[in-house]
Amino acid sequence: MTSSENREIVKHIFAETAQGNWAPLLESLADDFRFVVTGTSPWARAYDGKAAVLAELFGPLRTRLVDKIVVRAARIMADGDLVVVESRGHNTTTEGKAYNNTYCNVLRLEGGKLKEWTEYADSALVNAVLGDPRAVKT
Amino acid sequence: MSAADNKKLMETIFAAVSAGDRSLYTDSLADDVSMTVTGQYSWSQTFHGKESVLRDLYGYVASLLKYRRTIPLRIIADEEWVAVEARGDMETIGGERYDNHYCMVYRIENGKIREIREYQDSTLCERVLGPFPKERKLAAAK
Repeated sequence: MTSSENREIVKHIFAETAQGNWAPLLESLADDFRFVVTGTSPWARAYDGKAAVLAELFGPLRTRLVDKIVVRAARIMADGDLVVVESRGHNTTTEGKAYNNTYCNVLRLEGGKLKEWTEYADSALVNAVLGDPRAVKT
Repeated sequence: MSAADNKKLMETIFAAVSAGDRSLYTDSLADDVSMTVTGQYSWSQTFHGKESVLRDLYGYVASLLKYRRTIPLRIIADEEWVAVEARGDMETIGGERYDNHYCMVYRIENGKIREIREYQDSTLCERVLGPFPKERKLAAAK
């Protein structure tokens, strides 16, 4: 796929996450999809495989936040298999705290599927607002 | 300049930066560059102008470190934008390791960097380098 095809796939995914609809993203994940949360927060590690990403990352995150999870892309850059998305979350925790993180995500696509997602975000905000995923009861 | 030219520029800059030589990087900053440390922690702020970026941000960082190298991992270019994922290889004056993960986004115009947005592990930054001093924050905001 070309840079512009990959850009369009990611643009569509984020047009929907901006409305709180994560279905296009979930449908685009390859079975061996890998999500890497960079840094030193308790959420930071590599999650290997679509099943692990859903159970160990997206699941606990879903439990910590109320209503639709909204993430809006501010800028999308595409270069071959790689697409960079700067984005902003607009969310609220179950305790009513604002969780509006800023993200830079580097996505790698293969054959129209997402294979890898590397996330850079404000980990101090993650620690202060989301806490430890191991404490989340899903 | 094309995306390929802008990518080449950042590759050349980071070849030097990864060897500890920041002169080409500094020379490539436009006079009216703006640099935003993203997020909501003590270092999060937009520094306006080359003088402020060098004095209020990089000058302060340099005063805390014994040495610093930044090693690029992937460089991604799209028109005037270039994103660089990088790993720090640094040591503080006190002898503590400081190896942060970065994603830097640059906007380049005619071979000069006009805008920078930095994403990094804020927890590690504040733990090792400490909170950004309030008086510097006020000075940079002027």
